[in-house]
Amino acid sequence: MVVFEHVAKRYPGGMQALKDVSFHLEKGELAFLTGHSGAGKSTLLRLIALLERPSRGQVLFDGRNVGKAARRHIPGLRRRIGIIFQDHRLLSDRRVFDNVALPLVIAGAPYPEIQRRVRAVLDKVGLLDKERMYPPMLSGGEQQRVGIARAIIGKPPLILADEPTGNLDPELSADLMQFFMQLNELGTTVLIASHDLELIRRLRRRVLVLRDGQLIDDVPARVEASAS
Amino acid sequence: MTTRLRTADSRLPGGIRAWGRRHAFSLLSSLGTLVRQPIASAMTVMVLAVALCLPTGLWVALDNASHLGQDWEHLDTLSVFLDGGVDDQQAMRLSSRLSAWDEITAVDPISPSEGLSELAGQMGLGEAVAAIEDNPLPWVLEVTPMTASVLPELARRLQREEGVESVIVDLQWLERLAAMIEVIRQLTILLALLFAAAVAFVVGNTIRMDIHNRREEIEVMALVGATRGFIRRPFLYSGLWYGLAGGLLAWVLVRLALVVLAGPVEVLGGTYDAELGLRPLSPRLSLALVLGSGALGVIGSWLAVDRHLRRIQL
Repeated sequence: MVVFEHVAKRYPGGMQALKDVSFHLEKGELAFLTGHSGAGKSTLLRLIALLERPSRGQVLFDGRNVGKAARRHIPGLRRRIGIIFQDHRLLSDRRVFDNVALPLVIAGAPYPEIQRRVRAVLDKVGLLDKERMYPPMLSGGEQQRVGIARAIIGKPPLILADEPTGNLDPELSADLMQFFMQLNELGTTVLIASHDLELIRRLRRRVLVLRDGQLIDDVPARVEASAS
Repeated sequence: MTTRLRTADSRLPGGIRAWGRRHAFSLLSSLGTLVRQPIASAMTVMVLAVALCLPTGLWVALDNASHLGQDWEHLDTLSVFLDGGVDDQQAMRLSSRLSAWDEITAVDPISPSEGLSELAGQMGLGEAVAAIEDNPLPWVLEVTPMTASVLPELARRLQREEGVESVIVDLQWLERLAAMIEVIRQLTILLALLFAAAVAFVVGNTIRMDIHNRREEIEVMALVGATRGFIRRPFLYSGLWYGLAGGLLAWVLVRLALVVLAGPVEVLGGTYDAELGLRPLSPRLSLALVLGSGALGVIGSWLAVDRHLRRIQL
């Protein structure tokens, strides 16, 4: 589903964020991306979502070279990727309902369908009673869940999450990870950038480790039995 | 391994109905933006209205002035002053001869004594005039031409007649009026162009600030897959609303000005024994004002949005 081939990213000003990164993320896989801050996790996610273009190498999504995608193809591509940001990126002057509905509104879905699907997805993240509130009235964890609801409402085949547990307490973080696991079981490919190594280790999924812009380790998912 | 993206990918699903729904959303969200900041919107609309008032008001004034000229054109007469030595008989003969000319409707001979008493009456100099023993006035023939267009030619012909001292064409002020109206008309067109540009720039600037304030929203929309068209559309609608509202308000202001001016103009007309009514804006001009202003709003916001979306690089 996602393929990196010798990808390098150098920002204007000389900062080398990624150096020669190559990996494959299969369809239906769930993987973690880890590394100290500044290792290039966010840059890697941004390259997939076309928020950045690679300086060298190729980024393929669904077999297509996204680095060379024409500008007019970008919106269509982004609709196939649900992105969850560490800082939520919610619209503070819109209600929770409208925030979550945004991808469907952009797709031009009829209002009854929007209403039904927004309610369904808010129910799934446990925020059905908060649909008429504005994001600043919610706690950090609740805002994060609004962001997740918005990312999954369009049923994208790929979910990218940048430090989704960044400012949640351990219990909420574990819940959130369970939620991603469930999504993954339903067939969604998930890539989660996180530095919560403890949590990642417990989940026994594939882990990609970045250091100074280089992929230094690729730990495959472990089967329950072999771990114990 | 370089696979190009297929075009179908970027196309939005759902066809025409989805397109309509997206438009409805843009329209509503643009109205919402205006309503959410009523004072800023009202101020922008006010600026547009004032800018549009000037050329529109000038145009209406011009329209009225040129009609004024038309109404008075048939009143034009030529005053033919005869030589001082021409006696009553010669004068009457010339008068009847001239009235036979094709281009002349009527000739009204005024004797020196009639002229003197008329002058005395007009100037309130009854006694002073009575004191003049020798009447210094010549015979005057008031010639009314068939049409105003023959006036210059007719004046030249009359000038060549024997016994004619001078021909006074009271046409000059009309020509001046017509020339002045022409100057002001050109000025109005120039002003209209300038103020049209001003409307586009004012709307563009307002939209630019709007974009600036909603930069985050624009970015989020782009992140979840909004096309540039989708992001641009609410701003274009905003520009349209600004333009239409500005045009409408300008129309109302000009109408109000006409109502306020109607009384004084009537009084002014009364002093000339003429009925001076103000002509209101024609329906065509009104429509052109409002729709033109709306179109300018769209153009202004298009320029602003396009430039800024490119800068945000979405």
